[in-house]
Amino acid sequence: MTLALEGVSHGYGDGFVLEDVSLTAHSGEVLAVIGPSGVGKSTLLRLLALFERPDRGSVTDDGTDVWTLSTQERLAARRGVATVFQEASLFGASVRRNVEYGLRVRKSWPARLRHELATRLGMPTDAAVLDALETVGLADQLDQHAASLSGGEAQRVAFARALAYDPDVLLLDEPTSDLDPRNTALIERAVLEARRRDIGVVVATHDMHQAERIADRVAVLLDGGVIDVGDAETVFENPADERTRKFIDGELIY
Amino acid sequence: MTLETAILASSFVEFPFEWHYVRSIVRVSLYVSLVAVALSTLFSLPLALAIGFSEFRGKRLVTAVINTGMGFPSVVVGLVVLFAVSNQGPLGPLNLVFTPEAMILSQFVLAAPVVTGVSLAAVSGVDRRVRDAAYAMGGTRLDVALVVIKEARYGIATAILAGFGRAVSEVGSVLIVGGNIASADGTSYTRTLTTAIQLEARQGRFETAMLLGAILVALVLVVNAIVIRLGGTGGRYR
Repeated sequence: MTLALEGVSHGYGDGFVLEDVSLTAHSGEVLAVIGPSGVGKSTLLRLLALFERPDRGSVTDDGTDVWTLSTQERLAARRGVATVFQEASLFGASVRRNVEYGLRVRKSWPARLRHELATRLGMPTDAAVLDALETVGLADQLDQHAASLSGGEAQRVAFARALAYDPDVLLLDEPTSDLDPRNTALIERAVLEARRRDIGVVVATHDMHQAERIADRVAVLLDGGVIDVGDAETVFENPADERTRKFIDGELIY
Repeated sequence: MTLETAILASSFVEFPFEWHYVRSIVRVSLYVSLVAVALSTLFSLPLALAIGFSEFRGKRLVTAVINTGMGFPSVVVGLVVLFAVSNQGPLGPLNLVFTPEAMILSQFVLAAPVVTGVSLAAVSGVDRRVRDAAYAMGGTRLDVALVVIKEARYGIATAILAGFGRAVSEVGSVLIVGGNIASADGTSYTRTLTTAIQLEARQGRFETAMLLGAILVALVLVVNAIVIRLGGTGGRYR
């Protein structure tokens, strides 16, 4: 699955937040979208996650305009994408129930009922759930209630919840901005593991060092548009746009 | 010795009616109020979800109208329902005057704003980000609604309880549309605990009124316990 924005403009109320943005997420690649806070990184991810229809332009899945599809087809496309937000936003249930969620909603209603019964009868947890939790180092927390986790653990569970149903594209919206260095490192390690599984990762971040550590490609979002996009090394070492250099050097004050 | 004979044996008064009469009153009360609250919940919960999820002009006005409905005087509701079900009213052909079903209708009108209003507050209290997370994990709108219901289950349980409390303890409208009728064989037709208490107290049979009052309070307690228990066991599951 190759997810792309093509000439997208989008806004809320007066004016556009994003104007004429084109960007592609390839599988097996980490794309970092960097830019100062409030520049529209979250809006960009919401469009990629098919939460909202862009005011102009199109969002394509392997070249097909997703918003021309039927509701069922769009649901199928949407289910190829997973999003992790800045806050973990876990459901008020056990870690296991949280991580299972994506798998559960993809089942038919009779299958869900059977699964519900099997869970209550103490059947073993789905291998994909355990695997996703192992990726973030929390396989031993299966039966903990989400509310009892620390902020960092909760965010790692949110990551596992997105990974469990094996999405094609994983969108991360400032996933580590509230986390300590250890949890940040664990999330970053999980991002690289996702890439190894051929998942396309798009991570919005204002942490340039993080982008340098994990990204293959970098897109710089500024003034409502992508002003620079390319290999991480090229963008950081030899930016095409003067504003990129200033932003990276911390000279651009917003 | 059964509870009934125990109470009878230990009481100083001779009850002016049979136990089957009391039982029939309890049955009518429960039937009318439980059905009314079940219908209110079926009607109000989707409404609360729809209002809570969407942004539209006049949302505050709609919320204000619902909240006003929570305090609507029951006698006025009874009067309006009586007009509606009377021969000349829009529901006249259904012949509902002085039937339990007319009482269900009036209790529905009284309970629905309470269930809607309290559910709406509970649903609106669920973090938007939790809804987004459910949607982002591939949930349909129905899945998202189910997540919200589960997150807000305590508030929704409270809403149903409040609706039941409003319905079962209400006198004015059931008296008007139901007529407080007991059949010749001594069983209640449209006589509920509240209207029976009112009648017994007015006729000076205070012991009887107090017994019926105790039953009413016990009923409310039992229903509360059941609903709170149901709201609580959802904890581990989604």
